[in-house]
Amino acid sequence: MQALSGRAAVTGVGMTALTRASGRTELDLATEACRAALADAGVAAPDAVLSYHLGDSVPATQVARALRLERLGWHNDITGGGTQAASILGDAAMLIAAGVARTVLVYRALNGRSGTRMNRASTGPQERFTIPYGMAGPIPLFALAAQRYLHDTGLTEDHLHAVVAASRDRAAANPRALRRAPLPREEYRAAPYVSTPLRNVDCCQETDGACALVVQDARLAPAAPRIHTVVRGGGPGCSAMDRAADVTAIFSAHLDLWGESGLGPEDVDVALLYDAYTWLVPRQLSDFGLVKREDLGDSLLNRSHVPVNPHGGLLSEGYVHGLNNTAEAVRQLRGDGVNQVPGARVALVTGFGGSYGSAALLVRP
Amino acid sequence: MARPLPLPSPLTAPYWDACRRGELALQRCGGCRGFVHFPEAECPFCGDSNLAYEVVQGKGAVHTFTVVHRAFVPGLAPPYTVAWIDLDAGARVFGGVLGETRIGGRVDVTFRDVEGFGPMPYWRPDE
Repeated sequence: MQALSGRAAVTGVGMTALTRASGRTELDLATEACRAALADAGVAAPDAVLSYHLGDSVPATQVARALRLERLGWHNDITGGGTQAASILGDAAMLIAAGVARTVLVYRALNGRSGTRMNRASTGPQERFTIPYGMAGPIPLFALAAQRYLHDTGLTEDHLHAVVAASRDRAAANPRALRRAPLPREEYRAAPYVSTPLRNVDCCQETDGACALVVQDARLAPAAPRIHTVVRGGGPGCSAMDRAADVTAIFSAHLDLWGESGLGPEDVDVALLYDAYTWLVPRQLSDFGLVKREDLGDSLLNRSHVPVNPHGGLLSEGYVHGLNNTAEAVRQLRGDGVNQVPGARVALVTGFGGSYGSAALLVRP
Repeated sequence: MARPLPLPSPLTAPYWDACRRGELALQRCGGCRGFVHFPEAECPFCGDSNLAYEVVQGKGAVHTFTVVHRAFVPGLAPPYTVAWIDLDAGARVFGGVLGETRIGGRVDVTFRDVEGFGPMPYWRPDE
Protein backbone atom coordinates (compact mmCIF):
# COMPACT_ATOMS: atom_id res chain seq x y z
CA MET A 1 0.00 0.00 0.00
CA GLN A 2 1.39 3.41 -0.95
CA ALA A 3 1.80 6.09 1.72
CA LEU A 4 -0.49 8.35 -0.32
CA SER A 5 -3.26 5.75 -0.46
CA GLY A 6 -6.61 7.11 0.65
CA ARG A 7 -5.17 10.47 1.71
CA ALA A 8 -6.60 12.48 -1.21
CA ALA A 9 -10.01 12.59 -2.85
CA VAL A 10 -11.24 14.00 -6.15
CA THR A 11 -13.96 16.45 -5.21
CA GLY A 12 -14.63 18.30 -8.45
CA VAL A 13 -14.57 17.82 -12.20
CA GLY A 14 -15.05 20.45 -14.89
CA MET A 15 -14.86 20.49 -18.66
CA THR A 16 -15.43 22.85 -21.54
CA ALA A 17 -17.36 21.77 -24.59
CA LEU A 18 -15.21 19.56 -26.81
CA THR A 19 -14.90 20.88 -30.37
CA ARG A 20 -12.65 20.83 -33.42
CA ALA A 21 -12.34 24.60 -33.66
CA SER A 22 -12.80 26.32 -30.31
CA GLY A 23 -11.96 29.79 -31.58
CA ARG A 24 -10.66 30.46 -28.06
CA THR A 25 -7.28 30.66 -26.39
CA GLU A 26 -5.98 27.81 -24.25
CA LEU A 27 -6.16 30.26 -21.32
CA ASP A 28 -9.88 30.79 -21.90
CA LEU A 29 -10.47 27.05 -22.11
CA ALA A 30 -8.39 26.29 -19.01
CA THR A 31 -10.09 29.00 -16.99
CA GLU A 32 -13.58 27.81 -17.86
CA ALA A 33 -12.79 24.18 -16.99
CA CYS A 34 -11.07 25.19 -13.74
CA ARG A 35 -13.98 27.38 -12.66
CA ALA A 36 -16.38 24.54 -13.38
CA ALA A 37 -14.29 22.07 -11.35
CA LEU A 38 -13.95 24.47 -8.41
CA ALA A 39 -17.71 25.13 -8.45
CA ASP A 40 -18.36 21.38 -8.62
CA ALA A 41 -16.14 20.91 -5.56
CA GLY A 42 -17.61 23.90 -3.77
CA VAL A 43 -14.13 25.36 -3.37
CA ALA A 44 -13.36 29.07 -3.65
CA ALA A 45 -9.61 28.86 -4.13
CA PRO A 46 -7.05 26.02 -4.42
CA ASP A 47 -3.70 26.37 -2.73
CA ALA A 48 -1.83 24.48 -5.46
CA VAL A 49 -2.16 24.18 -9.25
CA LEU A 50 -0.75 21.45 -11.51
CA SER A 51 -1.03 21.04 -15.26
CA TYR A 52 0.59 19.02 -18.01
CA HIS A 53 1.39 20.10 -21.52
CA LEU A 54 3.47 19.54 -24.64
CA GLY A 55 4.26 23.19 -25.23
CA ASP A 56 0.68 23.60 -26.43
CA SER A 57 -1.05 24.95 -23.34
CA VAL A 58 -0.97 27.81 -20.86
CA PRO A 59 1.05 27.90 -17.62
CA ALA A 60 -0.46 27.57 -14.16
CA THR A 61 0.58 31.09 -13.19
CA GLN A 62 -1.54 32.57 -15.99
CA VAL A 63 -4.51 30.41 -15.08
CA ALA A 64 -4.12 31.43 -11.43
CA ARG A 65 -4.16 35.08 -12.46
CA ALA A 66 -7.26 34.56 -14.59
CA LEU A 67 -8.95 32.83 -11.65
CA ARG A 68 -8.01 35.85 -9.48
CA LEU A 69 -6.16 33.68 -6.99
CA GLU A 70 -4.50 36.30 -4.85
CA ARG A 71 -1.84 33.96 -3.57
CA LEU A 72 -0.57 30.87 -5.28
CA GLY A 73 1.24 28.09 -3.46
CA TRP A 74 2.84 25.06 -5.07
CA HIS A 75 2.38 25.10 -8.86
CA ASN A 76 3.94 23.17 -11.67
CA ASP A 77 3.58 22.70 -15.41
CA ILE A 78 4.62 19.15 -16.06
CA THR A 79 5.98 18.39 -19.51
CA GLY A 80 4.15 15.41 -20.89
CA GLY A 81 1.12 14.18 -22.73
CA GLY A 82 -0.87 11.02 -22.27
CA THR A 83 1.61 9.56 -19.82
CA GLN A 84 0.38 12.12 -17.27
CA ALA A 85 -3.37 11.42 -17.44
CA ALA A 86 -3.36 9.10 -14.43
CA SER A 87 -0.12 10.04 -12.67
CA ILE A 88 -1.05 13.70 -12.27
CA LEU A 89 -3.46 12.38 -9.63
CA GLY A 90 -0.41 10.91 -7.92
CA ASP A 91 1.43 14.24 -8.06
CA ALA A 92 -1.60 15.93 -6.48
CA ALA A 93 -2.01 13.19 -3.85
CA MET A 94 1.69 13.37 -2.94
CA LEU A 95 1.40 17.11 -2.30
CA ILE A 96 -1.53 16.41 0.00
CA ALA A 97 -0.03 13.37 1.74
CA ALA A 98 3.18 15.36 2.32
CA GLY A 99 1.26 18.23 3.88
CA VAL A 100 2.34 20.67 1.16
CA ALA A 101 -1.20 21.45 -0.02
CA ARG A 102 -4.77 20.69 0.97
CA THR A 103 -6.58 21.58 -2.26
CA VAL A 104 -4.93 21.01 -5.64
CA LEU A 105 -6.38 22.19 -8.93
CA VAL A 106 -5.33 20.06 -11.92
CA TYR A 107 -5.97 20.93 -15.57
CA ARG A 108 -5.11 20.11 -19.17
CA ALA A 109 -6.06 22.59 -21.89
CA LEU A 110 -5.29 22.38 -25.59
CA ASN A 111 -6.47 23.29 -29.05
CA GLY A 112 -5.51 19.83 -30.21
CA ARG A 113 -7.35 20.05 -33.51
CA SER A 114 -7.28 23.71 -34.53
CA GLY A 115 -3.88 24.46 -32.96
CA THR A 116 -0.91 22.19 -32.28
CA ARG A 117 -1.88 18.71 -33.45
CA MET A 118 -0.61 15.45 -32.00
CA ASN A 119 -0.44 13.76 -35.38
CA ARG A 120 2.87 15.51 -36.04
CA ALA A 121 4.27 15.28 -32.52
CA SER A 122 7.90 14.17 -32.41
CA THR A 123 8.60 10.56 -31.50
CA GLY A 124 12.20 11.37 -30.55
CA PRO A 125 15.68 11.40 -32.06
CA GLN A 126 14.92 8.25 -34.08
CA GLU A 127 13.06 10.59 -36.44
CA ARG A 128 16.34 11.56 -38.08
CA PHE A 129 16.22 8.08 -39.61
CA THR A 130 12.48 7.58 -39.98
CA ILE A 131 11.43 10.93 -41.47
CA PRO A 132 13.53 10.48 -44.66
CA TYR A 133 11.48 7.32 -45.26
CA GLY A 134 8.24 9.24 -44.78
CA MET A 135 7.50 8.19 -41.21
CA ALA A 136 6.68 10.88 -38.65
CA GLY A 137 4.43 11.30 -35.65
CA PRO A 138 2.76 8.75 -33.42
CA ILE A 139 0.34 7.09 -35.86
CA PRO A 140 2.80 5.10 -38.01
CA LEU A 141 4.78 4.21 -34.87
CA PHE A 142 1.70 2.75 -33.19
CA ALA A 143 0.71 1.20 -36.52
CA LEU A 144 4.01 -0.73 -36.65
CA ALA A 145 3.29 -1.99 -33.14
CA ALA A 146 -0.35 -2.74 -34.00
CA GLN A 147 0.58 -4.81 -37.08
CA ARG A 148 2.81 -7.00 -34.99
CA TYR A 149 0.26 -7.14 -32.16
CA LEU A 150 -2.45 -8.48 -34.48
CA HIS A 151 0.06 -11.01 -35.84
CA ASP A 152 1.10 -12.17 -32.36
CA THR A 153 -2.40 -12.39 -30.86
CA GLY A 154 -4.39 -13.57 -33.86
CA LEU A 155 -6.76 -10.63 -33.46
CA THR A 156 -8.11 -9.14 -36.69
CA GLU A 157 -9.66 -5.99 -38.08
CA ASP A 158 -13.01 -7.33 -36.85
CA HIS A 159 -11.74 -7.04 -33.29
CA LEU A 160 -10.47 -3.52 -33.87
CA HIS A 161 -13.88 -2.72 -35.30
CA ALA A 162 -15.53 -4.21 -32.21
CA VAL A 163 -13.56 -1.81 -30.01
CA VAL A 164 -14.53 1.34 -31.88
CA ALA A 165 -18.11 0.19 -32.52
CA ALA A 166 -18.60 -0.35 -28.79
CA SER A 167 -17.09 3.06 -28.10
CA ARG A 168 -19.46 4.76 -30.57
CA ASP A 169 -22.48 2.92 -29.15
CA ARG A 170 -21.68 4.10 -25.64
CA ALA A 171 -20.94 7.65 -26.80
CA ALA A 172 -24.46 7.84 -28.24
CA ALA A 173 -25.62 8.59 -24.68
CA ASN A 174 -22.91 11.23 -24.10
CA PRO A 175 -23.85 14.76 -25.17
CA ARG A 176 -20.20 15.81 -24.82
CA ALA A 177 -18.96 13.26 -27.36
CA LEU A 178 -17.61 14.35 -30.73
CA ARG A 179 -18.68 11.06 -32.39
CA ARG A 180 -22.03 9.54 -31.46
CA ALA A 181 -23.17 7.70 -34.58
CA PRO A 182 -22.98 3.89 -34.78
CA LEU A 183 -20.15 2.44 -36.85
CA PRO A 184 -21.31 -0.69 -38.71
CA ARG A 185 -18.67 -3.14 -39.88
CA GLU A 186 -19.07 -2.25 -43.56
CA GLU A 187 -18.54 1.41 -42.76
CA TYR A 188 -15.47 0.56 -40.69
CA ARG A 189 -14.02 -1.49 -43.53
CA ALA A 190 -14.66 1.33 -46.01
CA ALA A 191 -12.89 3.90 -43.81
CA PRO A 192 -9.52 5.05 -45.17
CA TYR A 193 -6.28 3.74 -43.74
CA VAL A 194 -3.92 6.23 -42.17
CA SER A 195 -1.17 3.65 -41.68
CA THR A 196 -2.04 -0.05 -41.88
CA PRO A 197 -3.62 -1.67 -39.93
CA LEU A 198 -4.94 1.60 -38.47
CA ARG A 199 -7.79 3.34 -40.25
CA ASN A 200 -8.81 6.88 -39.37
CA VAL A 201 -11.59 5.40 -37.20
CA ASP A 202 -9.01 3.43 -35.19
CA CYS A 203 -7.55 6.74 -33.99
CA CYS A 204 -8.86 9.04 -31.27
CA GLN A 205 -10.49 12.41 -31.87
CA GLU A 206 -8.11 15.33 -32.01
CA THR A 207 -9.91 17.85 -29.85
CA ASP A 208 -10.02 21.46 -28.69
CA GLY A 209 -11.02 21.72 -25.05
CA ALA A 210 -10.02 21.66 -21.43
CA CYS A 211 -10.64 19.47 -18.43
CA ALA A 212 -9.97 20.18 -14.76
CA LEU A 213 -10.12 18.27 -11.48
CA VAL A 214 -10.02 19.34 -7.85
CA VAL A 215 -8.07 17.04 -5.53
CA GLN A 216 -8.41 17.61 -1.80
CA ASP A 217 -7.32 16.22 1.50
CA ALA A 218 -9.77 13.33 1.99
CA ARG A 219 -10.63 14.56 5.48
CA LEU A 220 -12.30 17.57 3.84
CA ALA A 221 -14.53 15.33 1.72
CA PRO A 222 -15.03 11.93 3.32
CA ALA A 223 -17.58 10.75 0.73
CA ALA A 224 -15.63 11.68 -2.43
CA PRO A 225 -13.76 9.12 -4.58
CA ARG A 226 -10.32 8.50 -3.11
CA ILE A 227 -7.00 8.13 -4.88
CA HIS A 228 -6.04 4.62 -3.81
CA THR A 229 -2.89 3.86 -5.82
CA VAL A 230 -0.95 5.56 -8.62
CA VAL A 231 1.88 3.95 -10.57
CA ARG A 232 4.05 5.42 -13.29
CA GLY A 233 6.86 3.88 -15.27
CA GLY A 234 7.90 2.13 -18.43
CA GLY A 235 10.47 -0.01 -20.15
CA PRO A 236 11.35 -1.71 -23.41
CA GLY A 237 8.65 -1.71 -26.07
CA CYS A 238 7.23 0.27 -28.91
CA SER A 239 9.21 3.38 -27.99
CA ALA A 240 12.47 1.63 -28.94
CA MET A 241 11.78 -0.96 -31.62
CA ASP A 242 15.46 -1.29 -32.45
CA ARG A 243 16.12 -3.16 -29.23
CA ALA A 244 12.80 -4.32 -27.74
CA ALA A 245 12.17 -8.06 -27.63
CA ASP A 246 8.44 -7.24 -27.84
CA VAL A 247 7.84 -4.17 -30.03
CA THR A 248 4.15 -4.29 -29.10
CA ALA A 249 4.82 -3.69 -25.40
CA ILE A 250 3.32 -0.53 -23.99
CA PHE A 251 3.46 0.98 -20.49
CA SER A 252 1.01 -1.53 -19.06
CA ALA A 253 3.49 -4.36 -19.56
CA HIS A 254 5.81 -2.66 -17.07
CA LEU A 255 3.61 -1.47 -14.19
CA ASP A 256 3.01 -3.41 -10.99
CA LEU A 257 -0.39 -1.91 -10.20
CA TRP A 258 -1.70 -4.91 -8.28
CA GLY A 259 1.46 -5.43 -6.26
CA GLU A 260 1.47 -1.76 -5.28
CA SER A 261 -2.23 -1.58 -4.46
CA GLY A 262 -3.06 -4.87 -2.82
CA LEU A 263 -6.12 -4.98 -5.03
CA GLY A 264 -6.64 -7.24 -8.03
CA PRO A 265 -8.21 -7.11 -11.47
CA GLU A 266 -11.36 -8.73 -10.10
CA ASP A 267 -11.92 -5.61 -7.96
CA VAL A 268 -12.25 -3.28 -10.97
CA ASP A 269 -15.84 -2.22 -11.71
CA VAL A 270 -15.07 0.17 -14.57
CA ALA A 271 -11.91 0.73 -16.63
CA LEU A 272 -11.10 4.09 -18.16
CA LEU A 273 -8.41 2.94 -20.57
CA TYR A 274 -6.31 5.33 -22.64
CA ASP A 275 -7.76 4.41 -26.03
CA ALA A 276 -5.75 6.64 -28.36
CA TYR A 277 -5.91 3.70 -30.85
CA THR A 278 -8.28 0.75 -30.89
CA TRP A 279 -5.67 -1.98 -30.40
CA LEU A 280 -4.57 -0.45 -27.11
CA VAL A 281 -7.81 -1.60 -25.47
CA PRO A 282 -7.15 -5.35 -25.76
CA ARG A 283 -3.47 -4.81 -25.01
CA GLN A 284 -4.33 -3.09 -21.70
CA LEU A 285 -7.19 -5.48 -20.88
CA SER A 286 -4.76 -8.39 -20.86
CA ASP A 287 -1.78 -6.53 -19.38
CA PHE A 288 -3.87 -5.50 -16.37
CA GLY A 289 -5.28 -9.01 -16.05
CA LEU A 290 -8.85 -7.91 -16.81
CA VAL A 291 -9.11 -10.46 -19.64
CA LYS A 292 -6.92 -13.50 -20.34
CA ARG A 293 -4.98 -13.05 -23.55
CA GLU A 294 -6.57 -16.13 -25.12
CA ASP A 295 -10.04 -14.75 -24.36
CA LEU A 296 -9.48 -11.28 -25.85
CA GLY A 297 -11.13 -11.94 -29.19
CA ASP A 298 -14.38 -13.33 -27.81
CA SER A 299 -14.60 -10.78 -25.04
CA LEU A 300 -14.29 -7.91 -27.52
CA LEU A 301 -16.84 -9.35 -29.95
CA ASN A 302 -19.30 -10.21 -27.15
CA ARG A 303 -18.54 -7.10 -25.08
CA SER A 304 -18.27 -9.43 -22.12
CA HIS A 305 -15.28 -7.75 -20.42
CA VAL A 306 -15.49 -5.23 -17.56
CA PRO A 307 -17.10 -1.98 -18.78
CA VAL A 308 -14.48 0.11 -20.64
CA ASN A 309 -14.90 3.84 -21.24
CA PRO A 310 -18.68 4.00 -20.78
CA HIS A 311 -18.65 7.62 -22.04
CA GLY A 312 -16.97 6.70 -25.34
CA GLY A 313 -13.37 7.40 -24.33
CA LEU A 314 -10.78 9.13 -26.44
CA LEU A 315 -12.02 7.33 -29.54
CA SER A 316 -15.46 8.96 -29.41
CA GLU A 317 -15.86 11.53 -26.63
CA GLY A 318 -12.67 13.40 -27.42
CA TYR A 319 -9.04 13.70 -26.55
CA VAL A 320 -8.17 16.09 -23.75
CA HIS A 321 -4.97 14.12 -23.51
CA GLY A 322 -6.67 11.54 -21.34
CA LEU A 323 -7.80 13.82 -18.51
CA ASN A 324 -11.39 13.54 -19.76
CA ASN A 325 -11.17 9.78 -19.10
CA THR A 326 -9.93 10.53 -15.58
CA ALA A 327 -12.90 12.88 -15.09
CA GLU A 328 -15.29 10.12 -16.18
CA ALA A 329 -13.71 7.72 -13.68
CA VAL A 330 -14.64 10.20 -10.95
CA ARG A 331 -18.20 10.59 -12.26
CA GLN A 332 -18.66 6.82 -12.40
CA LEU A 333 -17.68 6.51 -8.74
CA ARG A 334 -20.01 9.36 -7.79
CA GLY A 335 -22.87 7.73 -9.69
CA ASP A 336 -23.32 10.50 -12.28
CA GLY A 337 -21.45 8.91 -15.16
CA VAL A 338 -22.51 8.28 -18.74
CA ASN A 339 -24.03 4.79 -19.04
CA GLN A 340 -23.47 4.65 -15.31
CA VAL A 341 -22.06 1.31 -14.17
CA PRO A 342 -24.38 0.35 -11.31
CA GLY A 343 -22.71 0.53 -7.93
CA ALA A 344 -19.23 1.18 -9.35
CA ARG A 345 -16.81 1.28 -6.46
CA VAL A 346 -13.35 0.80 -8.02
CA ALA A 347 -12.23 2.54 -11.20
CA LEU A 348 -9.00 1.99 -13.12
CA VAL A 349 -7.74 4.92 -15.19
CA THR A 350 -4.67 4.85 -17.42
CA GLY A 351 -2.60 7.15 -19.58
CA PHE A 352 0.48 6.66 -21.68
CA GLY A 353 2.75 7.48 -24.57
CA GLY A 354 4.76 4.68 -26.15
CA SER A 355 6.08 2.25 -23.61
CA TYR A 356 5.88 4.75 -20.74
CA GLY A 357 2.79 5.72 -18.81
CA SER A 358 0.74 5.65 -15.67
CA ALA A 359 -2.27 4.03 -14.04
CA ALA A 360 -4.41 4.94 -11.06
CA LEU A 361 -7.02 3.21 -8.97
CA LEU A 362 -9.81 5.38 -7.60
CA VAL A 363 -12.09 3.96 -4.92
CA ARG A 364 -15.43 5.15 -3.60
CA PRO A 365 -15.26 5.08 0.23
CA MET B 1 7.58 20.83 -50.39
CA ALA B 2 10.64 18.71 -50.95
CA ARG B 3 11.15 15.35 -49.34
CA PRO B 4 13.22 15.58 -46.14
CA LEU B 5 16.66 14.07 -46.61
CA PRO B 6 19.00 12.44 -44.10
CA LEU B 7 21.39 14.90 -42.45
CA PRO B 8 24.54 12.87 -41.75
CA SER B 9 26.33 13.76 -38.52
CA PRO B 10 29.80 12.61 -37.42
CA LEU B 11 27.98 9.72 -35.68
CA THR B 12 25.85 8.63 -38.66
CA ALA B 13 28.08 9.58 -41.61
CA PRO B 14 29.72 6.12 -41.84
CA TYR B 15 26.25 4.58 -42.30
CA TRP B 16 25.41 6.85 -45.23
CA ASP B 17 28.94 6.69 -46.68
CA ALA B 18 28.62 2.89 -46.82
CA CYS B 19 25.35 3.27 -48.74
CA ARG B 20 27.26 5.19 -51.41
CA ARG B 21 29.50 2.14 -51.76
CA GLY B 22 26.45 -0.10 -52.01
CA GLU B 23 27.04 -1.58 -48.58
CA LEU B 24 25.04 -1.77 -45.38
CA ALA B 25 27.25 -0.94 -42.40
CA LEU B 26 26.09 -0.97 -38.79
CA GLN B 27 27.76 -0.12 -35.52
CA ARG B 28 28.91 -3.16 -33.61
CA CYS B 29 29.91 -2.99 -29.98
CA GLY B 30 33.51 -3.99 -29.25
CA GLY B 31 32.46 -4.95 -25.73
CA CYS B 32 29.34 -7.10 -26.00
CA ARG B 33 29.46 -7.62 -29.81
CA GLY B 34 25.84 -6.50 -30.17
CA PHE B 35 24.77 -4.56 -33.25
CA VAL B 36 23.57 -1.03 -32.55
CA HIS B 37 21.13 0.70 -34.90
CA PHE B 38 20.20 3.54 -34.89
CA PRO B 39 23.75 4.78 -34.27
CA GLU B 40 24.64 5.73 -30.70
CA ALA B 41 27.66 7.23 -28.93
CA GLU B 42 27.54 4.47 -26.29
CA CYS B 43 26.34 0.89 -26.54
CA PRO B 44 22.76 0.79 -25.19
CA PHE B 45 23.34 -2.77 -23.97
CA CYS B 46 26.67 -2.56 -22.14
CA GLY B 47 27.78 1.09 -22.21
CA ASP B 48 30.96 0.49 -24.20
CA SER B 49 31.92 3.42 -26.45
CA ASN B 50 33.95 1.29 -28.88
CA LEU B 51 31.35 1.16 -31.65
CA ALA B 52 33.03 0.58 -35.00
CA TYR B 53 30.98 0.20 -38.16
CA GLU B 54 30.93 -3.26 -39.70
CA VAL B 55 29.57 -4.25 -43.11
CA VAL B 56 26.66 -6.72 -42.86
CA GLN B 57 24.59 -8.71 -45.30
CA GLY B 58 21.20 -7.14 -46.00
CA LYS B 59 19.11 -10.33 -46.00
CA GLY B 60 16.49 -10.79 -43.33
CA ALA B 61 12.83 -11.10 -42.41
CA VAL B 62 10.25 -8.40 -41.78
CA HIS B 63 9.61 -8.02 -38.04
CA THR B 64 6.78 -5.55 -38.53
CA PHE B 65 5.70 -3.07 -41.18
CA THR B 66 3.09 -0.48 -41.99
CA VAL B 67 1.77 0.80 -45.29
CA VAL B 68 1.54 4.56 -44.94
CA HIS B 69 -1.56 5.87 -46.68
CA ARG B 70 -1.54 9.33 -45.19
CA ALA B 71 1.89 10.91 -45.03
CA PHE B 72 2.82 13.36 -42.32
CA VAL B 73 6.00 14.11 -44.24
CA PRO B 74 6.08 16.19 -47.45
CA GLY B 75 7.44 15.07 -50.80
CA LEU B 76 6.58 11.36 -50.66
CA ALA B 77 3.62 9.87 -52.50
CA PRO B 78 1.61 7.34 -50.47
CA PRO B 79 1.05 4.48 -50.26
CA TYR B 80 4.52 3.36 -49.29
CA THR B 81 5.83 0.85 -46.77
CA VAL B 82 8.22 1.21 -43.85
CA ALA B 83 9.40 -1.69 -41.73
CA TRP B 84 11.67 -3.04 -39.05
CA ILE B 85 13.70 -5.93 -40.41
CA ASP B 86 15.46 -8.65 -38.46
CA LEU B 87 18.67 -9.19 -40.39
CA ASP B 88 20.07 -12.71 -40.50
CA ALA B 89 23.28 -11.10 -39.21
CA GLY B 90 21.53 -10.45 -35.88
CA ALA B 91 20.55 -6.76 -36.08
CA ARG B 92 17.15 -5.10 -36.34
CA VAL B 93 17.16 -2.27 -38.86
CA PHE B 94 14.64 0.27 -40.13
CA GLY B 95 13.94 1.16 -43.73
CA GLY B 96 11.52 1.30 -46.60
CA VAL B 97 10.18 -1.80 -48.34
CA LEU B 98 9.56 -1.85 -52.08
CA GLY B 99 6.56 -4.00 -52.98
CA GLU B 100 4.11 -6.02 -50.93
CA THR B 101 5.31 -7.64 -47.77
CA ARG B 102 4.14 -9.44 -44.63
CA ILE B 103 5.49 -10.18 -41.17
CA GLY B 104 8.10 -12.89 -41.58
CA GLY B 105 8.50 -12.12 -45.28
CA ARG B 106 12.03 -12.55 -46.59
CA VAL B 107 13.70 -9.39 -47.88
CA ASP B 108 17.10 -8.25 -49.14
CA VAL B 109 18.61 -4.80 -49.16
CA THR B 110 18.82 -2.65 -52.25
CA PHE B 111 19.96 0.93 -52.62
CA ARG B 112 17.68 3.50 -54.11
CA ASP B 113 19.02 6.80 -55.36
CA VAL B 114 17.12 9.61 -53.66
CA GLU B 115 17.31 12.90 -55.50
CA GLY B 116 19.42 15.49 -53.74
CA PHE B 117 20.99 12.96 -51.39
CA GLY B 118 22.18 9.73 -52.93
CA PRO B 119 21.61 6.08 -52.13
CA MET B 120 19.35 5.10 -49.22
CA PRO B 121 18.82 1.48 -48.17
CA TYR B 122 15.48 -0.08 -49.05
CA TRP B 123 14.44 -3.71 -48.88
CA ARG B 124 12.75 -5.74 -51.58
CA PRO B 125 10.97 -9.08 -51.33
CA ASP B 126 13.40 -11.99 -51.67
CA GLU B 127 11.35 -15.20 -51.71
